[in-house]
Amino acid sequence: MHFRTKESMTGYLSLLPAFAALAAIVFYPMVNTFFHSFTKWNGAESHWIGLRNYTFIFTNGELWTLLRNNAVFLLSIPGILLLSLVVSVLLFEEVRGWRFFRSLYYIPTILSSVVVGMLMKMMFAQSGVVNQLLHALGLTDGKTEWLTQVPTAFMVLIFCFYWQTLGQGALIFLSGLSAISHEIFESADLDGAGWWQRLFHITIPSLVPTIVYFTVTNAIYCFIGLFSLVYAVTQGGPGRETTPIDYMIYIKAFQTPDQLGYASALSIVLFAIALLASWVQIRLSNRYQD
Amino acid sequence: MASRKALPVRLIVYAVLVAIAIVDFYPIVYMAVNSSRTSVDFFQNPGGLPDAWHLDNFKALYYRFDVLRLFGNTLLDALLAFAVTIVLSVPASFAFAKLRFPYRSGLYMIVIATMAIPGITFVIPNFVLMSRLGLVDHPGSVILIWAVTAVPSNIFLLVALMRGIPNEVLEAGKIDGISYVQTLARIVMPLSVPGIVTLAIFNTTGWWNDLFTPLIFLQSDDLKTMTVAVATILKRFDTDYPLLLAGLFMTSIPPIAIYVALQSHIKKGLVIGSVK
Repeated sequence: MHFRTKESMTGYLSLLPAFAALAAIVFYPMVNTFFHSFTKWNGAESHWIGLRNYTFIFTNGELWTLLRNNAVFLLSIPGILLLSLVVSVLLFEEVRGWRFFRSLYYIPTILSSVVVGMLMKMMFAQSGVVNQLLHALGLTDGKTEWLTQVPTAFMVLIFCFYWQTLGQGALIFLSGLSAISHEIFESADLDGAGWWQRLFHITIPSLVPTIVYFTVTNAIYCFIGLFSLVYAVTQGGPGRETTPIDYMIYIKAFQTPDQLGYASALSIVLFAIALLASWVQIRLSNRYQD
Repeated sequence: MASRKALPVRLIVYAVLVAIAIVDFYPIVYMAVNSSRTSVDFFQNPGGLPDAWHLDNFKALYYRFDVLRLFGNTLLDALLAFAVTIVLSVPASFAFAKLRFPYRSGLYMIVIATMAIPGITFVIPNFVLMSRLGLVDHPGSVILIWAVTAVPSNIFLLVALMRGIPNEVLEAGKIDGISYVQTLARIVMPLSVPGIVTLAIFNTTGWWNDLFTPLIFLQSDDLKTMTVAVATILKRFDTDYPLLLAGLFMTSIPPIAIYVALQSHIKKGLVIGSVK
């Protein structure tokens, strides 16, 4: 008995530093944000205003613009999913040099979103190389202002998102593919299954857990990871037309005076969305884990 | 499934892969090539090659923007944050992996759930806290926040790894009568080196690339990290594209170098959790 209690004590003491640090930097600030979401707050003084921040968020229409902007990114996920799948299946054919391609595709993934965003902003500038290329191909007049119009600004942002995500997709789908046992493929060959049959009856179904993982992690990214990219490329403009929720929290908290209560309420809304997304992730990954 | 394919099919596969490779790699070449042009030369033909290779932009980064200092800031902040995060994560991970005590799995679930909380949702109280402690515009704030927010995912990876340490090794240590701290330092840490290396790669490249935390907590130019400096200081000169590109290129070199040198570690770490 004495031994057990000693082990318990050691256990709790080992956890203490990590939990104390998390309490100070994550748990307490989270509670603090929740409390201040019911106040008008300038960082020093706050007074209680009840649900006014929330009613304002849900009624002034701004939230729907923000959510629409997040939704645009969400809706772009199937495209990059398909692209990653195609690339992985082609690479899995073990064409000569597939390792080289895999490494090459991965390089954009390791760059900072800031670097990617600023680089693409220059390439898509009015006098930039993309316009130059499109003009040379005779596709446009070469004077497109990509970032001042909403649809094209989103196209540039989504291009950055795709450019950064393909490497991750190819990497995890390739490891998903190599986890499929060779015997399944061999028995399919013996049964005389063709390439397409094998693709749709074996390869794709076996990849479902990986597809779920890729989709959910990128969906979460579309709610909480866009800040740097938006900061570097559009700064949320034109107007607020490309501003996702996390960028709006930054604007309200650090670029607008006396809006910390409002920013806190917006943070709680984002927190609820993130919780929901994680719950979906857990549910789905349990379902596909036999 | 390396079946023999007809030649035309293989050619199409290659064409697709090469086309994607070009779209993937051209921007990086563009960044590298144009960072050694003058801005006059650049604006005459943004897609072309330099008329001559200049190093003026890199000299400007060195003399006018003190790029070595920015590199040093980032490296120092990241190393200190890594030391802090390891000191916090290793004992907790060992307890979760190898010790038995009440509420262990409940506490572990709390740590795992913390990974889902977006950083931006608790940044405002932290900013208020850090300004009361006098740590705003001081590297301490960035180091603390980087280190602590990395703890949950670091514990997640280390626990998975430490569960594999054979109990016999730990028992042998107990029989030799070494203390708990010695067990951690002499047995657990050395056996966890592969995991700690993976964490070092992921944490430090993540921090190197991070904009949000240093953007909010550091204001003086001479304290900034490289990524923030590029996004703020160099942006003031955003009509001088080649200079900006040289800055972006220099910011990209460390992550690319780490990736090229340590590819196998990175792949292992990234794939954890994705397959089943």
